[in-house]
Order: sequence, then C-alpha cells, then structure tokens
Amino acid sequence: MKRMKEKYFLAEWLANEISDTELKEYVSEDEIRVYHKIVSASNQFKVPSFNADVALEQLKLKNTKTTVRTLNFSKFIYRAAAVITIVFGSYYFLGNQTQNYKTSSAEKINFNLPDNSTVNLNAASEISFKSSNWKNNRNLSLHGEAYFKVAKGSKFTVKTPLGNVTVLGTQFNVVARANYFEVVCYEGLVSATYKKKSVKIPAGSSFKVLSSNIKYEKTINEANPSWIQNNSSFKSMPYWYVVNELERQYNVTVKFNEIHKRKLFTGSFTHNNIEIALKAITIPFNLNYTFVTDKEVSLK
Amino acid sequence: MNINKENNFCDEKKFSDFFLNQSKLLNNYIYYKCGNIDLSADITQEAFLKFWNNCKKVLPGKAKSFLYTIANNLFLNEYAKNKVVLNFKNCQTKNYTNESPEFLLEEKEFGFKLQQAISNLSEAQRTAFLMNRIDGKKYREIAEILGISVKAVEKRIHNALVNLRSVIENI
Repeated sequence: MKRMKEKYFLAEWLANEISDTELKEYVSEDEIRVYHKIVSASNQFKVPSFNADVALEQLKLKNTKTTVRTLNFSKFIYRAAAVITIVFGSYYFLGNQTQNYKTSSAEKINFNLPDNSTVNLNAASEISFKSSNWKNNRNLSLHGEAYFKVAKGSKFTVKTPLGNVTVLGTQFNVVARANYFEVVCYEGLVSATYKKKSVKIPAGSSFKVLSSNIKYEKTINEANPSWIQNNSSFKSMPYWYVVNELERQYNVTVKFNEIHKRKLFTGSFTHNNIEIALKAITIPFNLNYTFVTDKEVSLK
Repeated sequence: MNINKENNFCDEKKFSDFFLNQSKLLNNYIYYKCGNIDLSADITQEAFLKFWNNCKKVLPGKAKSFLYTIANNLFLNEYAKNKVVLNFKNCQTKNYTNESPEFLLEEKEFGFKLQQAISNLSEAQRTAFLMNRIDGKKYREIAEILGISVKAVEKRIHNALVNLRSVIENI
C-alpha cells in the first residue's frame, strides 16, 4: 500500500523530498549509486549555445519583412493617379516624338526604320516619321528623293506634297521635288496616289508627273536607282530639272540660258567629279562651262 | 477590453523582454525534443514570430503556455518523425583534476552512454527529465508548460530514471 502511494519515489528523491536512506527502502544500494552517477553526469550537460540577443535581432529582421501594412486607400489613389499620369504622359510625349532625317546639298545618307526597312536619302531631302507604333502604322513624309527597301509587314505609306505612295514590302524610289513627282518600282508592287487617283506600278515600271503631265513608263531594268551608285541618269527630262539635280549634288549654283530650260535631256552625270559631270550635261547641247566662283558655274 | 489591450504583447518593449526571458528556455525545450540545435533555433524563432503576429489574442498570464503550445505544435507538425540524436556539450564545471586518468576516462564514457540513453527515452520522459536537470525547472513549472499535472511530471521523471539506469547497466 505504501509502495502504491509513493510510486514516484525517484522523482521525490530527485527533488530532495526524500533522502538516500528513505530511498533505500525501495531500491538497492548499487542502484542508488548508479542514480547518483546519472544525476551528477546530467548536471554537467549544457545545451549548445543559444544567444537570445542575436536571436531577437534576427527575429526583428524577419518580422519587418513580413509586417503587413494596411493600405491607406486615399494615399493609394493619389499614388496610382501619379503613376498613371507619368506613364501615359511620357507615352504620349515620347510617342508623338517625330524622327527627322535631313540631307543638305551634296550629302546622301542611308538609315534603317524601326522594322529594318532601309532608306537611302538623296541630296537636299527630308524624311520625318513617328517611331512609336511603327509596326502597325508605317507612315512617313518625304520632301525630295529617297529609295526604300521595305520589309514585309503592314501597309507602308510615303506621304509627299504631291501624292502618296503605298506598298506592302518592296523596293522603290520616290522623287518629290517642286513640280516633279516620280515613283519607280524595283521589286513588288507599288500603289501611287496622285490627285486622288491611284496607280498600280509593277516592278520595272515608273510613274512620273512633270508639271501636271502624267507619264507612265515601263522601262527600267536596273536593280536600284542610279543615284545609289553616285550617278544621276535622265531620260527625256527637261534641262532645268537636270541642272537642278546637279546643283543639289555638288552644292553649286548654275546659271544657264532660258532657251535651254525646256529642252529634253537624256543621259547621266556622276556625283564624284564636277568637271566630268558638267561636261556630261554641256557637250550634248554644245555648251561650255566656266566657273565664275567656287560655287557658281555659268553655261554658255 | 482596455486592460487587455494594455497587457497584451503587441508592445515592442514588452515583447522584447519576454523574448529575452523565454527564448533560451524554449530553445532548450525544443532541443530536448528533437536533438537538433539548428532546428530548435528555427522553431524558437518561428514560434515567437507566430506569437507576435497573434499578440492580440494572448491572454494575460497565459503568454508562456501559449508560446510553448505554438512551439510544440510547430515541432509536431514538421519534425516529430525525425530520429533524436542528442549531443550535449560536455561542460566540465570543475577545473581541478585530482582524479586519476582512468576515472576521468570512465566519467567521460559514462557521460557518453548517458547521452545515448537519454536520446532513447520517450520524448515525454526526456523532455521532462532534461527540463528539470538542465534548466532546473521545478515539477510544478514543467507541469504548467506541458499542460499536465504535477503527478504526471513526477511519473515521467521517475520512469525516466528507471529506464536510464536499466539501459546504462545493460551497456
């Protein structure tokens, strides 16, 4: 009965509630010796170090990361409005930014459009377009002369003061000078609009409007316009236009007799040597050229 | 309600004090259960984090048992399956050695055997025994933490000692 009541005598002994002598009533002396050993050995145990201060710092760090902040709705609205304004505002301004390429006399450049279509821009010409959304809206405006190699894609439109040229992917040359509008197609199919009438121009054909006279020719065999190879060639062009082109290519002014203005010229001149070029355009008309100054030539 | 608010542990200072007081003991408690110091540190941190996130729910006077319950649940959820291998630092409190080398070796060996024996105790017995031996907790405190009666703690301690003796004598 006593044993039943004091069932956990070892626990009581460990808590110093009963002494060794009392414990002997329950267990042998050998066993008591082992218990003593267990107790003294276990007294020396220590748990591997734990630094509460360091742990607290770590906890605070972790806690800040997971802290839930309640959303202040009005603040949020202002911030969202600001972000939206900035995003759309910058999109609007950047999107409406117009890219400009301009050449002066005796200068030629070539550049790529955003879709890798290439443009060669002849002397004294200008092209402007909007680079944003270029993929879906390929429009550009041209003053002067340019040669296009258009990558396949959506409708590609060249706007000029005289008419529009629309293609889907091809190579073509456009001239839009004062009183002269010319479209030459080298590959594919080009559609030109002049005075609200549109004309389809297949490869190897040209469309010319000279002082309101429309000419439609099927002549060229070249792969690209001659001016790309630094050469201007003409076929039955008025002399004034030929002279104007020479002025543009060499940045000079040329004076010549009004009599020759409307004569038709067929031939070409180079862009590399002004003497040879002048000979090329004067000899057929039995004219001589003299340099009045560096930048001024007189034909007689 | 007001009193409850003042007494709750959402105050950072109060929480920090509580952490500094309790984290080591909680860490030890989990260590007795799992025998892995990295794991016990993780669980301790996790338990305090949960405690902090639920600070409004803590009733005054129940903070400690709430904390231990969280830690115990974390332990049970994840790690109870793992085998326990305790590895105590054998920290000799005596610097002098007037004992013979044989005795010292024997003592070291005994300490090693004892560790193995403790590792093989049931989790309930081991935890109660070590909380008493290492942390010096009274049976009443252990009972409070474990949510059992003092008598049950005594039973666990008693059986732990009986088991340890029989295992050690058999080695």
